[in-house]
Amino acid sequence: MLKVNNKNNKKFNIDKLLKGKAYPLIFLSLIVLVSVVLLMYVNSITKAKIAAEKETQIIEQLKLIFPEMKDYKYNKDEYYEVYSSEDLIGYAFTAIGKGYGGDINILIGINNNFLIESINIISNTETPGLGTKITENFFTDQFKGLALEDVNLTKNGGKVDAITGATISSKAVVDAVREELIKKIELIKNKSN
Amino acid sequence: MEIEKVKPIKKFWQEFKKGFVITNPVFVLVLGLCPTLAVTSSIDNALGMGIGVIFVLLGSNIIISLIRRFTPPIVRIPVFIVVIASFVTILSLVFEAFIPPLYEALGIYLALIVVNCIILGRAEAFASKNTVFYSIADALGIGMGFTLSLFIVSFLREILGTGKLTVFGLNLFSIPVLSQLPLSFFIMPPGAFLVLGLLLALFRWLGVLKNE
Repeated sequence: MLKVNNKNNKKFNIDKLLKGKAYPLIFLSLIVLVSVVLLMYVNSITKAKIAAEKETQIIEQLKLIFPEMKDYKYNKDEYYEVYSSEDLIGYAFTAIGKGYGGDINILIGINNNFLIESINIISNTETPGLGTKITENFFTDQFKGLALEDVNLTKNGGKVDAITGATISSKAVVDAVREELIKKIELIKNKSN
Repeated sequence: MEIEKVKPIKKFWQEFKKGFVITNPVFVLVLGLCPTLAVTSSIDNALGMGIGVIFVLLGSNIIISLIRRFTPPIVRIPVFIVVIASFVTILSLVFEAFIPPLYEALGIYLALIVVNCIILGRAEAFASKNTVFYSIADALGIGMGFTLSLFIVSFLREILGTGKLTVFGLNLFSIPVLSQLPLSFFIMPPGAFLVLGLLLALFRWLGVLKNE
């Protein structure tokens, strides 16, 4: 008698748990907990790799603008100081343009005289075949050697020709470069004084 | 005994094959149109998206099928979403760490796999009612069917819109006149609607012919 009673009690408890009002809540919490632990684990594995990947990408990008670069320092004012073996040869910083399809990430390199060394489109989500032409050399080469006052589209009095069919993308790049130049040149000048 | 052994495998193939034509997620079920329209402007993006969806669909179908007996119906949708979102996050971290170019190319659409209604649809309609074995077949079939549909749409859009065919940075061929004067319209968002609409009409027509 006692044994039977015990069995019935156990079964009853499990049923109670599965059909209890709190069960959906407990189950969902459990799923979320498992998911959180799993994601923490995946994050801990990939974190170092992602950081290393970004680091090599930055070095590669900086070398495209300053081929003679040996070393670089990231400043707390959010620009890179670029060094050839010993000397400071220029500065680099990123700008974000508001393009037709989203953000356009641009890396801008300037020399000690604050003339543009070169610019590089790091990433964009513009229309393939049209807006993506901003990454091609015929467009970015136009920025080489420009001073701040020339960074504007030709129709607005600058020295950069817009790409046919991609005026919004072209303007986004030019505007972002100009605005970032104004900000960063000011910062760099203040610092050297 | 033999019949019982053959049967599951036969059913496995049936569940697998149906995703390509009979219940093709894009052209027949008309699900997941948002990514279909958005990422098909180039073949690279379409294939990357397809691979991502296959991975997430496979993972979510297996897990949801495993826990189907314990899942209280009242919280099943939140449970599905948590499972799917976990797989998407894993996928996005792995892509960022190991294939950064693809991660860059897919951008926001990688994260938006979470709300792809094909995946939630399969979880609700299939994985929560069937065994793990058939859920795997369903995930692979539907996932590959989706990838195939993306490939067809992106193939047409890239050919018409740029006159060239480029797969993972490799220029396969370019059409003489079209590559000089590409019909850029097809690469822009309205082109996606036009191509998809015509393909849907084609599949409907083929379906009607088959029924007669």
